[in-house]
Amino acid sequence: MNSKLSYDIIGLGLFGAVILFGVPAFFSYDGFELNTFARYLSLAIVSMALALSWGTAGLLNLGQAATFGMGSYAMAMHLKLKASGDNLPDFMGWNNVEALPALWVPFNSLTFTLLAGLLIPAAVGGLIATFMFRARIAGVFVAVITLAFLVAFQLLVIEQQGFTGGQNGLTGLAQLELFGWTVDIYATSFYYLVGGCLMAALIFGLYLTHSKFGLVLRAIREDAERTRYFGYNVANYQTLIFCISAGLAGLAGMLYALVLEFASPTYMSVSFSLAIVIWCAVGGRESVLAAAMGAILVNLAEGRLSDVFVEGWHMMLGVLFVAVVMFMPRGIYGVIVDAGRALRRRGGSEEFAETPSFDTPLNTKQES
Amino acid sequence: MKRREFLGRAGAVGTLGMAGGLSAPALLSSVGRAYAAGDDIPVGLLFSLTGAVAVVEHTLHDAALMAIEEINAAGGVHGKQLRPIIEDPASDPATYADRARRLMIRDKCVSVFGSYTSSSRQAVLPIAEQRNNLYWYPTLYEGRECSRNIMYGGALANQQQDILIPWLAENFGSRFYMVGNNYVYPKEENNYCKTLLKVLDGEVVHEEYVPMGHSDFSSVINRIRAEEPDVIFSTLVGDSDVAFARQYHAAELDPAKLPVCSLTRSEVEVKAIGGEAAAGHFSSAPYFMGHESAENEKFVEAYKSRFGADEVTHFVSEAAYFQVYQFKAALEKLDPSNITPTGIRDAAVGMTMTAPQGEILIDANLHTHLWPKIGQWQSDGQAKVIVQSEERVAPKPYAAYPGQECTGAGLVKS
Repeated sequence: MNSKLSYDIIGLGLFGAVILFGVPAFFSYDGFELNTFARYLSLAIVSMALALSWGTAGLLNLGQAATFGMGSYAMAMHLKLKASGDNLPDFMGWNNVEALPALWVPFNSLTFTLLAGLLIPAAVGGLIATFMFRARIAGVFVAVITLAFLVAFQLLVIEQQGFTGGQNGLTGLAQLELFGWTVDIYATSFYYLVGGCLMAALIFGLYLTHSKFGLVLRAIREDAERTRYFGYNVANYQTLIFCISAGLAGLAGMLYALVLEFASPTYMSVSFSLAIVIWCAVGGRESVLAAAMGAILVNLAEGRLSDVFVEGWHMMLGVLFVAVVMFMPRGIYGVIVDAGRALRRRGGSEEFAETPSFDTPLNTKQES
Repeated sequence: MKRREFLGRAGAVGTLGMAGGLSAPALLSSVGRAYAAGDDIPVGLLFSLTGAVAVVEHTLHDAALMAIEEINAAGGVHGKQLRPIIEDPASDPATYADRARRLMIRDKCVSVFGSYTSSSRQAVLPIAEQRNNLYWYPTLYEGRECSRNIMYGGALANQQQDILIPWLAENFGSRFYMVGNNYVYPKEENNYCKTLLKVLDGEVVHEEYVPMGHSDFSSVINRIRAEEPDVIFSTLVGDSDVAFARQYHAAELDPAKLPVCSLTRSEVEVKAIGGEAAAGHFSSAPYFMGHESAENEKFVEAYKSRFGADEVTHFVSEAAYFQVYQFKAALEKLDPSNITPTGIRDAAVGMTMTAPQGEILIDANLHTHLWPKIGQWQSDGQAKVIVQSEERVAPKPYAAYPGQECTGAGLVKS
């Protein structure tokens, strides 16, 4: 049995227990605290989505916030239409839009909205990925292209005020009704909805990374040329993981719009996109679970620090990030892995010295 | 491990988690702690101290905090001190939403003072409405909002333009060139300006929106030269306004012949522009630092001695300041054992007080009756008030939309 896999499953179990039982109990089911934590959990989903493309396949997507934003706008459009009833959404009147734009019409349907929140980001991610990876673009150029796309997309959303609400975004939303259940964002049930989505995303992510698909992706990360010589269609693998990552970001965006009750173009800002990279890096990009924990920990730290130090919390976070990058380049995950290895080496296990370390990327022996 | 085995395990863990999750009691421990139950009265201050709009919002924070300190120094309200709970939303709407929850839900503030931009107000709005709290918003804004949980202290389109537009038409002409940043405030103000111009037989020669933070106005200035309008009607904000004013000055366009009249330029922007470049142009606002009144003298002096002699007060910081006093006056009318945000709101309606700009009144629609003024900028960075409204002007958030009115009972459509 692959030791890494068993560690991941233990980690996931512990994480799930903490998220689903520990946190609600710790906050004694307080609506405000759970709502705040649900926000962190939705951000954890976008962080683990980045870990899939960045950590596993080595594709640094600096445009993750764009697909996140698409998901949030899809959800907000549905809720805005619901809040407006038979009238035109208010901001369209401000911008002298006469009739409901065709782009908005399908968002009257909840089913369409939920699908669109996943599939539109995935399709857009796939489109960009197809162009990039068929042209064998790699490394820093992937980051540059995705960043450029993010900036252009945010500008488009802000400029098309009549369709998107511009700088103010979409506000004044109705509550979501899911199969007759009205979502109250301060209720424990909503916390479990977000928590459940995160757990599902993590299980899916772990399944992907431990599957043969994940193995090929890691091979691509280490040496795309060699993987190509083995006969794998590298571009297809890269495109697919990009799609999946974008779809998960869309899911996170939908939940985020629910938690905050508005969608804003700031969800697609460069600073937000870089924040996702930071969460991922702090947790450890090689593991989806660690990346999710990174997002939660950083946001928790931000919340607590800003509570105690009203002025200067930005600076402290900055120092923290610099320290993480300098002293733990592989994030918290890397520290744990190294500590575990050191501990076992001290135990003098002969057998261990023979076994390839469990984070070796091309670890084919155990996988069957 | 085989894939199937993995799936089985993962599935088991997941199922366990889900089952546990669903069986957990859906308790909500929002057992209503009373507002202001302690020895003090918690009030939230939600102005950005960092980030893009911090330059302006810090002055609002300072003015509001100064008012709180003055009230506390004078003995507080009902013998209780006001306890300011300060948060820094860092100019980010999502952070506004997060911090507003903290202040209104966790900290049980009876009121929160905050926001400069419309987007941040709208991020706070759903929380204020759901929790039936009160959000005091000091900034001029575009109107078309009729919330029962926001106290609007700034000027509306009708309060900024009703006196201004006829005056401009009479003194300079009625061919307007509109330039603003691309968001809702400039668009609404321009919509309203057009309805006023129609009555005056005026004309909009060009209407232009530049992205937020845009700072190259050479093409705008060329176009202005070509169109030869009578007035530049500006709703540019922040850095864009500063860049525009400097480039306009550098292009040697004469303010005596072709003045820029801004709805958004205050002492803060002029400080960044420099008095020389701003001199001769106009702004419309209910307050200028140079306004002469006993209250204003007191306010400016206190502000300068507290924060530095080169600091300026302006039409938003004045409102941030007087809103705290409105809040205090409303609190005094309440039974100290039963202080609620909605109680404060209801007590505040109809109340008058003398602010630095003049005697103001809170309308039933929660907006404020104000004293419009037109100021001309001087080279020392101050505005000389050259026109002052003879009467207090009532707020009409739906002035540009006949058939809709914001009243004490909410929005009424006829």
